[in-house]
Amino acid sequence: MSQPPAQVVGMGTVLDHVRTPQEVLRPHVVEFRNVTKTYNAGKTDEFTAIRDVTFVVEDVVEKGEFICVLGPSGCGKSTILRSIAGLEPQHPATSGDVLVLGQPVVGPGSDRGMVFQDYTSFDHRTVLENVTFGLECLHMPRKQRDELGREWIHKMGLNVATDAHKYPHELSGGMRQRVAIARTLILKPRIILMDEPFGALDPLTRLNMQDLLVKLWKEVQATVFFITHSIEEAVFLGDRVYLMSNSPGTILEELKIEPATSSANEMQRQPKFLEAVYYIRDKITKLESNQ
Amino acid sequence: MNFSFLDRLLRNWLTLRKPVSRLQAIGLGVACILLCLTGWWLITQGAAESRLVGPLTLPSPAETFSKFSELWNDFALTRNVLVTLRRVSIGFALALMVGIPIGVTAGCFPRVHAFLSPLIMIGRNVPLAAVLPLMIFIFGAGEKNKVMFIFVASVAFVISDAARAIMDVSARYIDTAYTLGASRWQTISKVLVPLAAPTIFSACRQMFGLAFGYIMLAESIKIADEVGGLGYQIQIFQRRGFREHIYLIILVIPMVALVIDQVLAWIQRQLFPHLYGGDGMLRSLVRITLIPWESMKSLFFYRTPVSLPSVATEERPK
Ligand SMILES: Nc1ncnc2c1ncn2[C@@H]1O[C@H](COP(=O)(O)OP(=O)(O)OP(=O)(O)O)[C@@H](O)[C@H]1O
Ligand SMILES: [Mg+2]
Repeated sequence: MSQPPAQVVGMGTVLDHVRTPQEVLRPHVVEFRNVTKTYNAGKTDEFTAIRDVTFVVEDVVEKGEFICVLGPSGCGKSTILRSIAGLEPQHPATSGDVLVLGQPVVGPGSDRGMVFQDYTSFDHRTVLENVTFGLECLHMPRKQRDELGREWIHKMGLNVATDAHKYPHELSGGMRQRVAIARTLILKPRIILMDEPFGALDPLTRLNMQDLLVKLWKEVQATVFFITHSIEEAVFLGDRVYLMSNSPGTILEELKIEPATSSANEMQRQPKFLEAVYYIRDKITKLESNQ
Repeated sequence: MNFSFLDRLLRNWLTLRKPVSRLQAIGLGVACILLCLTGWWLITQGAAESRLVGPLTLPSPAETFSKFSELWNDFALTRNVLVTLRRVSIGFALALMVGIPIGVTAGCFPRVHAFLSPLIMIGRNVPLAAVLPLMIFIFGAGEKNKVMFIFVASVAFVISDAARAIMDVSARYIDTAYTLGASRWQTISKVLVPLAAPTIFSACRQMFGLAFGYIMLAESIKIADEVGGLGYQIQIFQRRGFREHIYLIILVIPMVALVIDQVLAWIQRQLFPHLYGGDGMLRSLVRITLIPWESMKSLFFYRTPVSLPSVATEERPK
């Protein structure tokens, strides 16, 4: 949507035309309208994972939002995330509309990058080949993509000289997730979907990864959907937190959170941080006891 | 020898699945061979009449090995081994060339698999003794029927093993590839096939051993002037009552099989360094040969040099 050249008059600018509502009303990044997903519909083991889920994530100019999703186990968090990604069998939804940038989701694509909880590095590819996988699929010339790949390996805090040619089985869990994040971010996706990416990491590595993620997220300006079981993680990372109810899951509450001002370790000691955490913890405890 | 030493030894040897050093492994193998030879020697020693097992059933080791030079020179052992190997290799290579693409397709698309499954079922259970005469009817006397016999005997197994290997690749790799923007074809060629390749290779390596056994069956029938092969030699020796030679060939075949298997194991290690370590010489070779092809594709398909074609750059103002 490039604007035609405009005439500058002092501190003002004359636009070449009067703006229309369509131009100003930017489509929502993600929109769920009464989405219900029933697995194995029509069979004896039919199971409704999410019911009537409706929410919207606006497009904030110059900055994607960081959305955290919290909820008891099995409430349908992964179901929501995978519907946005367009992955089967969560896609298509049984009823309702899943819209991304105003368009119904028709299938997976690199505009919605995803980082999974399990390690999904391609075992037969080196770190560099893993990171540049998406660029290779775009047929970017090898030299160019290797250069970009090295840049991202470095950004992810890995050692380009020693790690780039290792195979995934030679890496620790934290390093594997760095590779997984790098190969997603290198494609500059509009939306990044993360399904408990740090779930298998030890607490210290986890804090480091959180700081790294915040830094990189600001750089790529994408909207992030981040599923986690850690309330601290959600409050630290999130601009918004969605609290989900038990299955069949719905979104129960939406919290807006102030942006973090310092590192994960420091932030997580502040009283206002802890207050938000305790509030959410009470909510979830109540939810789980109602099960 | 005190008790604690024995105790330690036992504990060391009886630890479940404890890895063995290469030297020790070879030593144990040699010990087994020596034990068998000793047993063989014991039951066949002494004068012909006083033996535990008569020379007509089992000649003594000395008698057997003394015939080796005859086997080597007069019966052209090397040539026969090579003739046999050539037949198996051609037949098996054909089976791989036909079977792997079909198997991979069947593994990727369950409908294709469902369509082919009756044929695979028949192919896997076909009675080989019945196939052999058929091959001779169809392909006539000569080399062709033997090669095709190996092909028919193994192709169904290649197809089903390749399909199984593809189906066993975890779905999460497909999901990952798709969310990184891979097309269906790219997902097959860059993810499914490479991830399934080690399994397919192992299966084929084992099947080659079986095929090597099948060929003896095909070679034991000589109709026209096709030359030799180990199976045919065994047939001749049997007719002439050359027991020593038959025993020697029985010993030679596993040796040949061992050499081939070691070569295949080496190829496997070099192709899949992510599983077996090492520097992956053959893998690098494969990748290097693919570079020109890949650069060509970059020229044709890659059009956006700086910013990547994602929703981000299309929809958002700079
Ligand atoms: N493919 C499937 N077929 C049938 N049922 C499924 C399938 N996937 C998920 N479910 C069910 O749907 C419910 C929601 O699953 P989902 O994976 O979305 O939960 P979750 O919130 O991500 O849980 P967790 O926090 O444990 O990852 C679960 O009860 C699960 O058993
Ligand atoms: Mg989940």
